[in-house]
Amino acid sequence: MSSIPVPTRLRDAFVPPLDRDGFRRGVRVMSTPGIAIAAWGLVTGVALVEGGLSAPKALVMTFVVFAGSAQLAVLPLLASGAPLAVVWITALLVNLRFVIFAAASRRFFTMLPWKQRLFSSYLNGDVGFAIFMQRYGHAPEAGTTEQWSFFFGTATVNWFSWQASSVAGILLGNLAPTSWGLELAAVLALVAVLTPMVNRVPAILGVIVTAALSIVTVRVPLKLGLLTSVVVGVIVAVIAEAKWPVRGGTDSATVEELSHGVGLDEEGYAP
Amino acid sequence: MNGIDSWPRMLIAFVGLGVTTVVTRGSFFMLPASLKLPQRVEQALRYAPACALTAIIVPGVLTRDQHLYLSWHNNELWAVLVAAAVFAKTRNMMVMMAAGMVAFTVLRLYA
Repeated sequence: MSSIPVPTRLRDAFVPPLDRDGFRRGVRVMSTPGIAIAAWGLVTGVALVEGGLSAPKALVMTFVVFAGSAQLAVLPLLASGAPLAVVWITALLVNLRFVIFAAASRRFFTMLPWKQRLFSSYLNGDVGFAIFMQRYGHAPEAGTTEQWSFFFGTATVNWFSWQASSVAGILLGNLAPTSWGLELAAVLALVAVLTPMVNRVPAILGVIVTAALSIVTVRVPLKLGLLTSVVVGVIVAVIAEAKWPVRGGTDSATVEELSHGVGLDEEGYAP
Repeated sequence: MNGIDSWPRMLIAFVGLGVTTVVTRGSFFMLPASLKLPQRVEQALRYAPACALTAIIVPGVLTRDQHLYLSWHNNELWAVLVAAAVFAKTRNMMVMMAAGMVAFTVLRLYA
């Protein structure tokens, strides 16, 4: 399937049968977004170190967690010594978009043995998901070798470009003097994740309510104010959506907003 | 050591964070195919990430020592506003980061 040296038995347990052409097509389509992903990884790596993690810890985090937005979101919580339960719940909240991705794309994977399903789901990140659904979202037949091959092609590029650039960013951030104030980089990266998500009335209302509450409750111990603000904001957004429904269905809108706002043309290439 | 410098604490934190990655990405891949996402639940899931990010960013930028910090001297605030405006316009992450960091540095050195 590829030149990556993995023992055959291990590969067969975790990777569905693939064909070379589909895999290469996935790699090719992902190569341009791969550059954007590398930029993200670089920024995230720098931000992790500037946010207070030592370089060795940041390296471990990158490989164990493999979810950039959640990593950046919990960074200030880790730095301020917040309870681990709050850290984990916050990451869970940021990662909830993956539940929607999983629900939307599972029909392509349900027929696979559980190990292959588990590994595929682990690789189902933001941009790869958007590109896969753009290409196969309306395919009449779900779960073909061509689709799996394409998926693993994009996922391979995604994983390597993310991890390699994260490592580079961590090493780079380790060199920069702290007086440069680069810890702002983490906040800026989160703003970039957030911005495409906030483009319709329900999301705007939810975010405004959350913002106001998070200021008011900033002195509540154990960061419980944070969790309360999120819950109330989400409830407000859901109520608002009942009043202002999303035009033309939520599927495509959701894909673009939640997957870092990656816009794709008809060929499946990101700009 | 109880904070970000403690290896045991951070390792436990990272493993838990990794679990949230696998549990959310794997959720509907591993659950029985008959299980569907109710509409209300899907809507809630859709808005949770935006609200969670807001609850992290806003107090970080708008408060200092647990008090509201709305001031001309709040350099982070202005840098974030500049960066958000640039990102909304260009959708280019690198340009946005550069704009935010330049704004922050100029304010820090000259304002």
